[in-house]
Amino acid sequence: MRALLAGAAVVLRKELIDALRDRRTLLVVLLSSVAVGPLVLVLLSGLVAQIEERADQRVVVATGLEHAPTLRNYLERQSVEIREAPADHEAQLKRGRFGDPVLKVEPGFEAALARGEMPAVAIVSDSSNRRAEAGSGRLAQWLAGFASEQASLALALRGVPTALLRPIDVEHHDLASTRSRAAQFTGMLPFFVLMAVLYGALNAALDTTAGERERGSLEPLLTNPASPLALVLGKWGAVAALGMGVALLSVASFLPAQALIRSETLRSLFVFGPAEALAFLALLAPLAAALSALMMAVAIRSKSFKEAQASTTVVILAASLLPLVTLFEQGGEQPWYLWVPALAQATLMNRVLRGEPLGAVDIAQPLLLSALLAALCLAYLARRLRAAAVR
Amino acid sequence: MIRVEGLRKVFAAPGSPWRRARPVPVVAVDAVDFHAADGRVTGLLGPNGAGKTTTLRIVAGLITPDAGRVTVDGRDALREPAAALARLGVLGDGRGLYPRLTARENIAYYAALHGLSRAAAAARTEALADALDLRALLDRRTEGFSQGERMKTALARALVHDPPNIVLDEPTNGLDVPATRSLREVLRHLASPAGGGKCIVLSSHVMQEVERLCDEVVVVARGRTVASGSVAALCERTGEADFEDAFVRLVYDGAERAA
Repeated sequence: MRALLAGAAVVLRKELIDALRDRRTLLVVLLSSVAVGPLVLVLLSGLVAQIEERADQRVVVATGLEHAPTLRNYLERQSVEIREAPADHEAQLKRGRFGDPVLKVEPGFEAALARGEMPAVAIVSDSSNRRAEAGSGRLAQWLAGFASEQASLALALRGVPTALLRPIDVEHHDLASTRSRAAQFTGMLPFFVLMAVLYGALNAALDTTAGERERGSLEPLLTNPASPLALVLGKWGAVAALGMGVALLSVASFLPAQALIRSETLRSLFVFGPAEALAFLALLAPLAAALSALMMAVAIRSKSFKEAQASTTVVILAASLLPLVTLFEQGGEQPWYLWVPALAQATLMNRVLRGEPLGAVDIAQPLLLSALLAALCLAYLARRLRAAAVR
Repeated sequence: MIRVEGLRKVFAAPGSPWRRARPVPVVAVDAVDFHAADGRVTGLLGPNGAGKTTTLRIVAGLITPDAGRVTVDGRDALREPAAALARLGVLGDGRGLYPRLTARENIAYYAALHGLSRAAAAARTEALADALDLRALLDRRTEGFSQGERMKTALARALVHDPPNIVLDEPTNGLDVPATRSLREVLRHLASPAGGGKCIVLSSHVMQEVERLCDEVVVVARGRTVASGSVAALCERTGEADFEDAFVRLVYDGAERAA
């Protein structure tokens, strides 16, 4: 047992040094997996901020409003700023150049209104233009307000109680906590940290298995007195450590990224402090260990690095696509999610982001599963190493 | 001292699960016996595909034989592989180095795997650097090494724990004349009393190589030991003056007898 651990420690040290000397690969991994997550978060927050800004603006862009002084008066009483629409606003809206819906009033509106003839007004927008769509809801509300005021006035003149117009009173109760609302935007975070873990471990996993075969260095390595299990344990330790290291960097990079979030609401909603980071790491560390072992077990079957890259793509694809199951499933979180590696971690990370507490069982279940997967893969590797060396 | 008795290894030919007919298994080693004494260079000589590499891989513990026994200084290589490997230095068919590590680090890695202390490993590296003329290479990364430089580094790595038994598989493959000569000198020195009187086993298919270097020759053909003895004894036995003629006769006659 002591010889086993001593041998594993020697291998671990060498593999770490070897992997850390591969500067170019490290740089690519750091850029692609550590920097991209926060970058996307910041960009997304910019978009959200823009939409929010527009929703808060009390501006109506109109054409022909001179035909409707009553409506204009109502809008001005709502402290809405009125702007004249450019002549080619339809073309601009279509091309996404113009970010506001346009209120269109036909001549003769005022007279028709006075006669009770239901004059038409139009909201001109383009449903593929996201910025304009955000404003058209607000505009419709103002117009409904105007209509209901007109109706109330007409009824009041005839001595009818206005409650007849609104026989029921609708109240809106939003059950979402502020954090669960933020999770709508931050739901892709787990995806990025999972990718970081995978790409952090990938290169070392291939280099320590298929790479050794390709170089012809596995055969002499096995003529050392260290047992194959010791070699496998050491290699796996190094690969898993790299995966966890990149996971740590990736998770830590979201801490400063928060300060860069432009949307005020999103910033106040997105709570990602040291406690959340720790919970993420507690979930990711066992997964990194298990996926490292899995990728190594797949790669040891390949004679060359290139061949191994092709076969591990399947693992990477599965691990990165599984969390997307949550997007397609409309019925909410399913119990079986926690029995699938990667999907379990993504589900639990989303819970952390929503501010829900993690139970001991929730953590233990994927942990056990990861341990089992890792043990199976390591046993396979140790059994397979000799045959791989000489063939 | 290395003793090999009645070695046999059959490889199941890689079959496809889609095909019904199972491919015929390949008998790589049928019946190989030899005894390599300390202080002598023993050469396994045989044509390509005779089973030399498989035999040496079995000695190095890389392949488990179907039958037979291998002992290294009296330790059974199958029952106590770690004890046998500790007394064995192997320069096998694969001699890949780690390109991102320096030659010194490559050697130190194997020293650590053999359980050597850092000080002992450093001292051994120095001694080997002198013996193998490695000093200029020690602190360079092995990335751009030439064949000869690679071979020297791999040999130093295999000898770092100062093993009393050394196994080399086609050590002169890919080496130029000066490199071959210097390797020959090193091996001669290692077998001599001054070099520690090691037991050296090497395989080769190059006649001149074996003739010049080996004290004892084991001729292997079709997975069997056909004959063994010194070059002179083998020539005498076949009645040929030239060693090459003797070798051809040994292998050819064996084939006739087997047929």
